[in-house]
Amino acid sequence: MRESKPIIIIGAGLSGLHAAETLRHEGFDGRIILIDREKEYPYDRPPLSKELMMGTMSSSEIYLRTISEYERLKIELRLGLNIDEINTENKTLIADDGTIIHWGKILLATGTKLRELNIPGNNLEGIHYLKTLADAKSVRQSLDDVNQIVIIGAGFIGAELASSFNKLGKEVTIVEKSETPLAHIFGDEVGKYFFNLHTSHGVNVITGDSVERFEGTDRVERVVTRDGKNISCQAVIVGIGVKPNTELLQEKISCENGYIVNEFGETSLPDVYAAGDCASWPYQGKHIRVEHWDHAMNHGKNVAINMVQNQTAPYHKVPYFWSDQYGYRFQYFGYTTLPKPTVWRGDVQNHRFSCFYINNEGIIEAALIVNQPKEALPVRRLIAEQKSVDMEQLANPQSSLKKVHT
Amino acid sequence: MIDKTNYTELTNNGYHFVGYSTSIPDGEMQELTVGKEVVLIARIDGNLYAVDGICSHAYAELVDGELDEHCLYCPLHFACFDVRNGEVLEGPATEPLPVFDVTEENGEIWVKV
Ligand SMILES: Cc1cc2nc3c(=O)[nH]c(=O)nc-3n(C[C@H](O)[C@H](O)[C@H](O)COP(=O)(O)OP(=O)(O)OC[C@H]3O[C@@H](n4cnc5c(N)ncnc54)[C@H](O)[C@@H]3O)c2cc1C
Ligand code: FES
Repeated sequence: MRESKPIIIIGAGLSGLHAAETLRHEGFDGRIILIDREKEYPYDRPPLSKELMMGTMSSSEIYLRTISEYERLKIELRLGLNIDEINTENKTLIADDGTIIHWGKILLATGTKLRELNIPGNNLEGIHYLKTLADAKSVRQSLDDVNQIVIIGAGFIGAELASSFNKLGKEVTIVEKSETPLAHIFGDEVGKYFFNLHTSHGVNVITGDSVERFEGTDRVERVVTRDGKNISCQAVIVGIGVKPNTELLQEKISCENGYIVNEFGETSLPDVYAAGDCASWPYQGKHIRVEHWDHAMNHGKNVAINMVQNQTAPYHKVPYFWSDQYGYRFQYFGYTTLPKPTVWRGDVQNHRFSCFYINNEGIIEAALIVNQPKEALPVRRLIAEQKSVDMEQLANPQSSLKKVHT
Repeated sequence: MIDKTNYTELTNNGYHFVGYSTSIPDGEMQELTVGKEVVLIARIDGNLYAVDGICSHAYAELVDGELDEHCLYCPLHFACFDVRNGEVLEGPATEPLPVFDVTEENGEIWVKV
């Protein structure tokens, strides 16, 4: 029997790893080459801002698979290899060390890159970003000499870091450009809830202001804001978002906020697929891109099935992420452009509630669940079903989420 | 009649009394703390099964998930375990759940941890 042509996966993050495993489980018998520019074996990113930062998990626990697992599944890992160019005519790709690899199909699982601040004082020591295990280790190593930390950006990574440093007894200030943290995702009211969550734990939050420059001799000593605030610090972490890695094949593939794929993960080029954080995929009639763990895993698995068995597994998972802050657990399902929640359920004051973003047809588009893990699976189902709900029933925490359909 | 000798035997064999049979109807589950262990007990087709109550993946209490026949779903990343033997039926978990021996005597539930 002729062996299948190699499948190359670029990016050994969560998406690439799950795709590689799924290819084997689906019976693909050819070579699977999983490439990453990072030298680390595939690892999990969420603990970087949480358990690893707090010191409740060690870096050895962060790897997604044992080394023998790659051998068992005959997944060829090529670490520390950056792919610069993909040639679609003769189906080869060229690594930065000059290696040429032939391919039959490619999966782009390249993830995202950090947005960087380009302001005076950028190069001072003690200014960090957080994306990789190496980043996390370098922050951890510097913490002993740090009492005051400034976090730029009150997004999820910023918020989780604030919570972790707060737990470690550091004095934390967050500087956030918008008037209310996370209001662009959840709306003002929920944004204020997150604002209060920080301040009630003693974290300083400056909103509606931005960083103008960093000052210090060799190390950062101060953050100066546009409104003229001077914040002393010994470390800064910038968490102002990410953008998709779409440099490879950008000229040849349709891209708009990520590689555009159809429900099977196919890009506009034959035999080239994309999955995870770098892909823009169809959800409820729109193309969206999400930067969430659950999607990265499921999309990777799903697209891999289609790479082995053409167009057999359309993807339609409800987008989902979770976040842990100050000992509370947040779970968010769905996707919405609605400006604020329509229905609240539970006890906001005691941090046990859910709120729902419901459209004109009475269908839940998205929901935020706070410390109510029992509601997670039922809510995910409600959003997946796209049926209208009875808002009064939904608002009543006594009524079962299994019985809220109209 | 309650058989006292049997109780002594259970205790001697490391079993702990954890509750009454009526508290776990068919198709339902309950979380209990036995010593330091968080144990989840579920009843399927009349039989009781006991597994570790904490997901083997990251951290979540499985009692907050859902039980669908023998499939136990985690509420955090939705791994699925077979509650009868702890095996992973669907990721992201890769490690099975530890299982515990459980027995019913005279309407009482006893678990060995
Ligand atoms: C600190 C942190 C905390 C997080 N916490 C949560 C959370 O609580 N909940 C949640 O839902 N999500 C969380 N996330 C997001 C989640 O981790 C991501 O959605 C997920 O990792 C995306 O997986 P991916 O495989 O698509 O991309 P990535 O994990 O970014 O992997 C892409 C890989 O591709 C490699 N690569 C890119 N281009 C090339 C190239 N040309 N050549 C070679 N290699 C290349 C990169 O080095 C990278 O390793 C967090 C992320 C971070 C950074
Ligand atoms: S904690 Fe249960 S699946 Fe992740």
